[in-house]
Amino acid sequence: MNLEDHREILNQSGLEMFQLVRKQLIKSKEAFLTHDSDLAEEVLHTENRVNGMDLKIDRDCERFIALHNPVAGDLRFVLALRKINFDLERIGDHAFGISSYIVEVDTPVDQEVIDKLEFEQMYEAALSMLDDIRAAYKDGNAKKARKVFKKDKVLNKINLNSFAVISAEVKKDPNLIDQYLLLFSVIKKIERVGDLITNIAEEIIFYLEAEVLKHSKKKGPSKPSK
Amino acid sequence: MSKKNKESIIESSIKRKYKLQAKDVKVWYGDFMAIKGVSMDIKANKVTAFIGPSGCGKSTFLRLFNRMNDYVDDFKMEGEINIDGKDINNKNINVELLRKQIGMVFQKPNPFPKSIFENVAYGLQIQGLKDKKFLQERVESSLKQVALWDEVKDDLNKSALALSGGQQQRLCIARTLAVEPSIILMDEPTSALDPISTAKIEELIYKLKDKYTIVIVTHNMQQASRISDTTAFFYLGEIIEYDKTNKIFTNPEKQQTENYITGRFG
Amino acid sequence: MNNIKKNRLKDQAFKVWGIFCTLLGLVLLSIFIGNILIDGILRIDWEFVMNLPSRHAEESGIFTALMGSIWILLLTTVIALPIGIAAAIYLEEYSKKNKLSSILEVNISNLAGVPSIIYGLLGLEVFVRILEMGASVLAGSCTLALLILPIVIVSTREAIKAVPKSIRDASFAMGASKWQTVYHQLLPASFGGILTGIILALSRAVGETAPLIVIGALAYVPFAPESPMDQFSVLPIQIFNWITRPQHGFVENAAAAIIILLLITFVMNGIAVYFRNRWQKKFK
Repeated sequence: MNLEDHREILNQSGLEMFQLVRKQLIKSKEAFLTHDSDLAEEVLHTENRVNGMDLKIDRDCERFIALHNPVAGDLRFVLALRKINFDLERIGDHAFGISSYIVEVDTPVDQEVIDKLEFEQMYEAALSMLDDIRAAYKDGNAKKARKVFKKDKVLNKINLNSFAVISAEVKKDPNLIDQYLLLFSVIKKIERVGDLITNIAEEIIFYLEAEVLKHSKKKGPSKPSK
Repeated sequence: MSKKNKESIIESSIKRKYKLQAKDVKVWYGDFMAIKGVSMDIKANKVTAFIGPSGCGKSTFLRLFNRMNDYVDDFKMEGEINIDGKDINNKNINVELLRKQIGMVFQKPNPFPKSIFENVAYGLQIQGLKDKKFLQERVESSLKQVALWDEVKDDLNKSALALSGGQQQRLCIARTLAVEPSIILMDEPTSALDPISTAKIEELIYKLKDKYTIVIVTHNMQQASRISDTTAFFYLGEIIEYDKTNKIFTNPEKQQTENYITGRFG
Repeated sequence: MNNIKKNRLKDQAFKVWGIFCTLLGLVLLSIFIGNILIDGILRIDWEFVMNLPSRHAEESGIFTALMGSIWILLLTTVIALPIGIAAAIYLEEYSKKNKLSSILEVNISNLAGVPSIIYGLLGLEVFVRILEMGASVLAGSCTLALLILPIVIVSTREAIKAVPKSIRDASFAMGASKWQTVYHQLLPASFGGILTGIILALSRAVGETAPLIVIGALAYVPFAPESPMDQFSVLPIQIFNWITRPQHGFVENAAAAIIILLLITFVMNGIAVYFRNRWQKKFK
């Protein structure tokens, strides 16, 4: 098959992976907040599909490189897609992990605890970051990708604050420690999801602008796109 | 020192820095404008590749450097071509002397219908060098450089036309190396060869880089990306982009270049 | 009858016609040669070759005519070769390809078709009278040289043209001058073709009668030429002379002489073909 068609197929696979993982994350949030173990089970079963998609994309990328000898934009696309795929699969893993807690740990969490730790805000922020990055990938828009760097700071802030909050609240009421520990684990996971999304953003910017932002402090655009 | 003197000293040191230079070169074949104002600087001891669709002026431009276009009827040229800082179209230049310092390898291997030895020694013989021992040494070292010595050393008097295509092309390269030029121009040297011969010659080019400045016209983009340090993309008589090969093949500046190298057109 | 059958029939028909035409020429030639052989082969012996012509048929020989032919052949070669080859090299490699040169080219080909007797008249006026060479071997050779010059030029040009452009390119790219390229590459490579052309031209010259008669080659020459300024005769003239005699003995002589002349022609053509084949193999 020709290069353009093959690339489009890869592109669609990427979008599909984004969709899958987004749903997983949304369902996990819903399941966690409502302590719905049926919904959580759904997420656990869908994990197979996520893994299958991961393997498929990996294999297709390898084939694309072998058959078409891509250069320039095509090459950057396939290299970025491989890494994006890898990161999305990790995000899926975290969604899986969050849902596992619901199924295996029977500890419903009080609304108060959730509010104190700004849990919903954090999760919302993470989901909106995922939406941003998906739009950036779909539209080929580096500006949208850059939005997530700022939002990630929100996640980091909430994560850092959680230490102090948990420390204070547990001292006030030691019985709440189970809930706080559970929530803390999930917050850690969401913080990791945020990091993974910023990684994906860096990959998208690399593919679109050939600029490597990995490990760099500066995240703003340094030259106009073609 | 006057300002004019200073400027010309700076200019000539820039000229010397670049082995080959073209300044706003225009070429016509009769009414047809084959090259529309091309400037470029090529550094010494590097491999520079010219890529681009057929008929876009790559070969014509290449031949400006050894003035092989002089033999074409209706050829007309404007602009400057400098080698080692000197304008080669100047009336005082001895064209034959110029060509002795520049080797050329053609698309279809073209050994002379003579023996292997006579082919490699030709360049030396036309310079009047007759000493047998000297010729034998040079022939041997040239054939060794192209990794042909072991294959032919037992019968140097065999006709060159009895060699395979890949061997013939290596012989043609040995022929140019024998006169120790500083520049080698190659016009699609492997397009008529099978993949294994092509690989051998690419390896050879890579080794020659240390001692020679090489310019190669090629239709095969993978070849350009494999062996060249810098690449120039020609289209319709102009250079669209000229940059390090790494850059051209990972992130070219111009959309046209990207379209060409990813196979979207041409 | 359908198309396939029709085409096959046409194919066969042409085959038969082709064979017929080919055989026609060969058969007629064999009849002619056969006749000559019958008439003359027994007459050929060493005496015949070495004898001078005489009024008595049995004592007549072709010695003087043969020597004359050989002299003419050699001298014509010496004159025509350098001039013809040089002219061809100049026209092919050095002259600019413009309107003047194409007119020149057409005219040279035309010259090859001029009737040989015209050359004879030219030779008579210029060489024999104006340059005062007299009716000598030299005059005869000059005349014949002019005659075959166009053939030599054209065939040399063709031979040089046949050398691929890639050879020239390679030579020029190495810094060889035009003359070096001609001398080291083009001439050696086209040698076989040039040789073929010359031999064919000469084998025509050896059979020329009319121009030599015009410039004054004698029919009855009792001596072989010893210098270029001597008078001479050639085989064709000797043959012509004998044929006009009524005695039967002379008919035999003529036939024998014709055999010798044919032998010379065939041998020369054979050599030309041999060299042409060797030369063609060079480029394979």
